[in-house]
Amino acid sequence: MCGLETEMNERVARLRKATLETKPWLSIERAALLTDFCRQDKTVSVPIRRARAFQYLMENKEIYIGKEELIVGERGLAPKATPTFPELCCHSLADLEILHSREKISYTVDDNARQVQKNEIIPYWPGRSMRDLIFARMTPEWKSAYEAGIFTEFMEQRAPGHTVLGDVIYRKGLLDLKADIESALLRLDYFCDPQASARSDELRAMAIAADAVIRFAERHAEKAEELAAAEANPGRRAELHKIAAVCSQVPAHAPRDFWEALQSYWFTHLGVVTELNTWDSFCPGRFDQHLYPFYRKELEEGTLTRDNAKELLECLWVKFNNQPAPPKVGVTDAESATYTDFANINNGGLKPDGSDGVNDVTYLILDVIDEMRLLQPSSNLQLSKKNPDAFLKRGLEIVRQGWGQPSIFNADMVIEELLRQGKSAEDARRGGISGCVETGAFGKEAYILTGYFNLPKVLEITLNNGVDPRTGKKIGKETGDARAFSSYERLFAAFREQLHYFVDVKVRGNNVIERLYADYMPAPFLSLLVDDCIAKGKDYNGGGPKYNTTYIMGVAPATCSDSLAAIKHHVFDRKTITMDDLLESLAHDFEGREKLRLSLWNKTPKYGNDDDYADGIFVNLFDAFFDEVDGRRNTKGGCYRINYLSTTCHVYFGSLTGATPDGRRAWEPLSDGISPVQGADHKGPTAVLKSAAKMDHARTGGTLLNQKFTPRLLEGEDGLDKVAHLVRSYFRLDGHHIQFNVVTTATLRAAQADPEKYRDLIVRVAGYSDYFCDLTSALQNEIITRTEHEAFAHSM
Amino acid sequence: MTVPQVLAEVLKDEVFFDESGGGITISGGEPLRQAVFVEALLAACKARRIRTVLDTCGFADPEVMRRVSEHVDLFLYDLKLMNSERHLLFTGVKNDLILQNLKMLAERGSAIIIRVPVIPGVNDDSDNFDALSGHLSPLGLLDIHLLPYHRLGSDKYRRLHLSSGMEGVDPPTTEQMETIAARLRRDGFHVRIGD
Repeated sequence: MCGLETEMNERVARLRKATLETKPWLSIERAALLTDFCRQDKTVSVPIRRARAFQYLMENKEIYIGKEELIVGERGLAPKATPTFPELCCHSLADLEILHSREKISYTVDDNARQVQKNEIIPYWPGRSMRDLIFARMTPEWKSAYEAGIFTEFMEQRAPGHTVLGDVIYRKGLLDLKADIESALLRLDYFCDPQASARSDELRAMAIAADAVIRFAERHAEKAEELAAAEANPGRRAELHKIAAVCSQVPAHAPRDFWEALQSYWFTHLGVVTELNTWDSFCPGRFDQHLYPFYRKELEEGTLTRDNAKELLECLWVKFNNQPAPPKVGVTDAESATYTDFANINNGGLKPDGSDGVNDVTYLILDVIDEMRLLQPSSNLQLSKKNPDAFLKRGLEIVRQGWGQPSIFNADMVIEELLRQGKSAEDARRGGISGCVETGAFGKEAYILTGYFNLPKVLEITLNNGVDPRTGKKIGKETGDARAFSSYERLFAAFREQLHYFVDVKVRGNNVIERLYADYMPAPFLSLLVDDCIAKGKDYNGGGPKYNTTYIMGVAPATCSDSLAAIKHHVFDRKTITMDDLLESLAHDFEGREKLRLSLWNKTPKYGNDDDYADGIFVNLFDAFFDEVDGRRNTKGGCYRINYLSTTCHVYFGSLTGATPDGRRAWEPLSDGISPVQGADHKGPTAVLKSAAKMDHARTGGTLLNQKFTPRLLEGEDGLDKVAHLVRSYFRLDGHHIQFNVVTTATLRAAQADPEKYRDLIVRVAGYSDYFCDLTSALQNEIITRTEHEAFAHSM
Repeated sequence: MTVPQVLAEVLKDEVFFDESGGGITISGGEPLRQAVFVEALLAACKARRIRTVLDTCGFADPEVMRRVSEHVDLFLYDLKLMNSERHLLFTGVKNDLILQNLKMLAERGSAIIIRVPVIPGVNDDSDNFDALSGHLSPLGLLDIHLLPYHRLGSDKYRRLHLSSGMEGVDPPTTEQMETIAARLRRDGFHVRIGD
């Protein structure tokens, strides 16, 4: 299949082969240790209890150092061992069986794990886990909307994370951060600050968490020395001594060289993803910026070669791939059905002073991405107008191989989005994107994604006067019988009223959940790493970060907008279809009304064709959602914002949404990201980009645009140039992000028919890449039907 | 469609032209069969500083060609056969007018890329390319694109129950194309295979 032409050395090739061949399995170690601790511990202070629990994990979990590894440390017992987090979601035995035997994204669960779950874990956690606490506190309105597929809830199985590391660990060791904590403790004003005692607990918890990870690293040093003593091969023996030396230095102290910098990051990463199963795991963010000073210094001093540096990075890449996303069940699995845990390496962009950030390490990392072709970590280009074309074209050379990485972001727009939200210029330039497309001020911001929001479903509820036609249950407001609406404006006003109601319901739930995490599930280790948690003496989940943002993610604006356009065009403007006829047809999923469906599908202006009629409605929808969400206050002193991405949620939401007025049949997938409805764009990629650029990306925290091309289009230098021009043009129009799926439909069909032969086929899904064979067949079909642009407009 | 309607469609892609240095290419059929419309569209594009390319077989009234050339930044100019009798045999017209127009454009200083569809058994012989080289060199026209004959249209002919008259003709091999290209390069031409 995908012929591998790499220059990786034999060590890396073997490590890569092992990570590709090892199947994810569920490790009960963490759950058992945590439960053990919680049964015995009597600490009253919640943050200190959480810190001690973390310490217990880091002091008692097995230490793994694999053969030939240079960068060490695993979250579980071994590569692909995936822990569970019963304090958030306590799996039933039935859940474990589903995880074990489901067709896609399964995790092997052995008998021992099931026994421990049954005898130790299940008796303790129910009623105590966050999932139980959350669902017990949600209102009937919230539950109705959640079950109907109006929105999802990100925090029902996973903790808030959605943050990216800044440069702190490259400047400071954990001991330095402990010193910062000491001085913060000394500054506490117990006379005038009523929060002083709470801050003291938070700070002491952070200090315990720092000790926990220092000890975790020391245990690796001890293990390495142990292995060295028993090692017959002198070459490997020397490496093990070196590993021990590195683990003694970092992360207790600041790293002094390239190797230490990578290992320090990795211990930090493991700390964050062991403390809690934070969404989007954790991420080094602007890695090329952070690593460049170490790289340059060592290259000048002659202590490192480019090949050494590449090997170390590749060993780290394997580590990312060894950590599948924590096992998800239910709606959380449906909205994000993937092993990918969304660590997304940012390349290029600007320096804090606003100058071109592309450096030698940028190109080195791109070589690593190219050679490794791994699902994890994800990668992206932060492309500024100040970055050279050579950087873009190096990225596109990887894109055209068709395994879905890297995606491409408009760095200047990312900065503008952050500035609009009130970040300082420097903080904005140190930022980038994480997860799929989400904008953040790295090292300084908690930007919490709280759930996907199904825009077409809100229209469906509007057309049915508050009733969900799938269940017959009234879940929305009575906004009037659509048959009586005298104008499109009246319909849109009713839609806005429903939108307002459901955003209210979502935000009310969020307020409760935010406080639950702040009060019961602090993250002292993560707090150490994010400004200004130490200075404020506040937890990451409790408003400690310098910036605190809450997101609701709009899903399927194109399906919703095309549906609105169809109603406006056919029912109100042309009067070719009556509202009654339309509603009857939708209720019967167009059965016996194929002619009507085809005229809705084919004879309606559609978003994605640079048509102002259709795109104007899209922009109205964008503004309506923005007005409802943006600027609402969250409970942590920050604001609500919107973004547009869908991961795999457009398939899940589609499965709960009946036929839509754009001619889509019931239960079919909705449109993804801000991409046009699958097959609705027929004027080529330039028209898609023009349409997508009409919304005001600056007022989002990220948008996701998928474009699928066949490899032929990117052939040769000419092909690269053309796509480079296309990307630059979209960014000149202030687009946020674009990603390319470069693969033939024939290949995808072949893979569907014979998955065994195409195990390594990676495709871009939506904001991330995934193994094609791990996708559900609905999602596979969806990717196949996404418009395949066979040719650029001749004008290119 | 009217000229303003087409121009509005063209202008939608202006940002892409800016980035890529691209513009509009008018091709056909033979665009100069609708010379009035084409001339007006080209003039409208130039008024908006859009780069223009005209893809033509050169068989047009010299006065029309002269007027149109005022608004054309680059000609893609087909030269199928240098032998006028064979040209008549395969295309239905002699090539005298085509060569006359080409000379006129060359003398006016128009930018021109010569395009030769290479069809085995029709125009891939050395006589044809010797004549081509001998004709173009004095005119200072040194850019040649060789377009290998393809059969992408044969299914369309079949479905329309028409004959392409090309049944049994195979596309030239890569080697054949390279041989022709090398022969022209020896005479100092800049040759590209494919469009």
